[in-house]
Amino acid sequence: MRTFLLSIALFISAVCAAQVPSVVVENAKGESFDTKTLVEEGTPMIVSFWSTSCKPCIRELDAVYEALPDWLEEADFRVVAVSTDDSRLLAKAKSFAQGRGWGEDYILLFDKNQDFMRAMNVSVVPHVFVIDGKGKIVYSHTSYVPGNELELFEAVKKCSK
Amino acid sequence: MKKILALAVIAAATLNLSAQERGYLTGSFETNDHIYVEDQGNKFIPDDDRFGSNNYLKLDYYNGNFSAGLQLEAYMPSIIGYPDDLNKYALSNMYVNWKDEDFQITAGTFYDQFGSGLLFRSWEDRLLGLNNAIMGARFAYNWEDKIAFKALWGMPRLGMEFSDTQVRGADLSVSLANLLGIDDIVLSVEGSVLNRYSKISIDAEEAGGKPNTYGWSGRLNFDYDGFFLKGEYVDLGKKLVAFTPKRGNAQLLEMGYNGRGLGVTVTGRRLEWMGQKITTNSLSAANLISYVPAMSTQYTYMLTTLHPYNPQVGDESSFSFNSGEIGGQIDAFYNFRRGTAIGGKRGMKVHANFSTYYTLEKEGTAQAGNLLFRDFSFDLEKQWTKEFKMVLLYSMQEYNPTYGNYKTTWLSNIFVADLLYKWTPKFSTRLELQYLTTHEDKKDWMAALLEVNFAPHWSVWGSDMYNHGQTKVHYYNVGVSYTKGRTRLAAGYGRYKDGFICSGGVCRQIPQYTGANFSITTSF
Repeated sequence: MRTFLLSIALFISAVCAAQVPSVVVENAKGESFDTKTLVEEGTPMIVSFWSTSCKPCIRELDAVYEALPDWLEEADFRVVAVSTDDSRLLAKAKSFAQGRGWGEDYILLFDKNQDFMRAMNVSVVPHVFVIDGKGKIVYSHTSYVPGNELELFEAVKKCSK
Repeated sequence: MKKILALAVIAAATLNLSAQERGYLTGSFETNDHIYVEDQGNKFIPDDDRFGSNNYLKLDYYNGNFSAGLQLEAYMPSIIGYPDDLNKYALSNMYVNWKDEDFQITAGTFYDQFGSGLLFRSWEDRLLGLNNAIMGARFAYNWEDKIAFKALWGMPRLGMEFSDTQVRGADLSVSLANLLGIDDIVLSVEGSVLNRYSKISIDAEEAGGKPNTYGWSGRLNFDYDGFFLKGEYVDLGKKLVAFTPKRGNAQLLEMGYNGRGLGVTVTGRRLEWMGQKITTNSLSAANLISYVPAMSTQYTYMLTTLHPYNPQVGDESSFSFNSGEIGGQIDAFYNFRRGTAIGGKRGMKVHANFSTYYTLEKEGTAQAGNLLFRDFSFDLEKQWTKEFKMVLLYSMQEYNPTYGNYKTTWLSNIFVADLLYKWTPKFSTRLELQYLTTHEDKKDWMAALLEVNFAPHWSVWGSDMYNHGQTKVHYYNVGVSYTKGRTRLAAGYGRYKDGFICSGGVCRQIPQYTGANFSITTSF
């Protein structure tokens, strides 16, 4: 067991910064969507994992939605909202996102068996990432209380310079 | 087998490391710990060790098309209410994976689902103590965006071990719209087959049971300009229920419209003998190989979750005879835009849901019998000023305490106000006030929660749920959390009511308990 943990530790020290892995999820129309295409566009993005039963997630995405017109004047970036709702709430999550107007400004993705969530090592939602134009994770944060979005925007501004 | 695979994971990753670029490693760690204390008020006497601790370490390595990973779990012992077969520690997941433009191949543990999961689903839900990862192999191939195919074989995990049960399955999805080159429309037909092998007793064999069962499903997906329709038919094949052969089957229909600030979804579903377990000799809530969720609102406010709906998948025992259920729900979301008469300066969001489910009056029909569950809810959300946001919710829930064996139902009316006030850009408070009124069960309840947030790091909360109608017991809870980046530490103390923890419609029963809890969640 000790050797095993040691080899893991050695291994960790030899690798570089995390990126966005290629995972197949669904878009708002129910078509397959490979997450690697997000990186191909080459602009920074906020990737936010949420679910319909997670109130802080919704508050965070609403706060970003409210601030978005002002933020976009200062930085060029996209917002990707990844629903982790499974087939119980999948159809509801799509209607919910539309009912809040998110569909107009966000890229909506649906990760119904949490494959993307697992690949990004998200244990609990809300969990938000800032990804630079090359696909590298430059900032991430778990949980949300009002005001956290200010720190998020600072991270976006840094990598869109 | 496990050790060899674990070594293969590390060796393959290291080989890859020297050969190509360095790749990257990501991972997460989670610990949830409880210390239990005796509490006469909650009729709770803890076990001698007075302690429970669930721990998870997950590591994934990515290099180009290659990835590999593992998960370690330790229960020292497990937290109260978790399945009994989660104990000690194990290297629970390990995999190597290659993903190209068109195909993907995985050896080791993996998760997957066919369609909505009614036929087959393998997933992890730590809240439930459920992890039915499959140990085996999986292959997936995509021909452009026209055809997707996958095939899998393996043994599902139950508790800390992989079971003797084997599943073999294949899934095919054909996009007719893309094949015919029709833009703007999504039209696809899909189908799955699943073979399940599990040992059965001699008695079961004599009664006509077979170790191999064969199930299949057919599905249709359509979407045009915001209108969508999804249909699924599932046949689980023949299985024995109380030594009588039964054919499990389900029909699911979802349709609606999403667009222009409006979202409407209508769902209808019928289930008959749809329970599908990994083995017949485990009572664990995690003994599942398919996903039959409750198609109703998933609430989060304390008093709205006292009686969550648990779907009737078909059960015959000395207590009950339930061949399944039939019912549906309708959801409507609407955003009154800014600047409209109702929306005002900052807009207003409204949502309504109506769900109703019945037993099957007669096997093999769609005839509705006794009412199992009914819920009507309405909520509205209004940002009054830049600082003040309000959510109001009303829910009328009616449920059958005998799971449909008798006609009697219990009705409760629940009212919630959720008030958020931002005093400064980084300091906010949130107050929840809740009331439940009913003539049945334990009569009326009231509850309140106050949360004080200091962004970006601290949050402190206290809540109380009080049954003033009958038992006069307070269920209090206080806690604090600290978050920095991807790490969150939380500590709390409280008295918890017995009931169900439900996640995605799968529920596990938890006993009442009192004590302190501590958790760390981090990822890297």
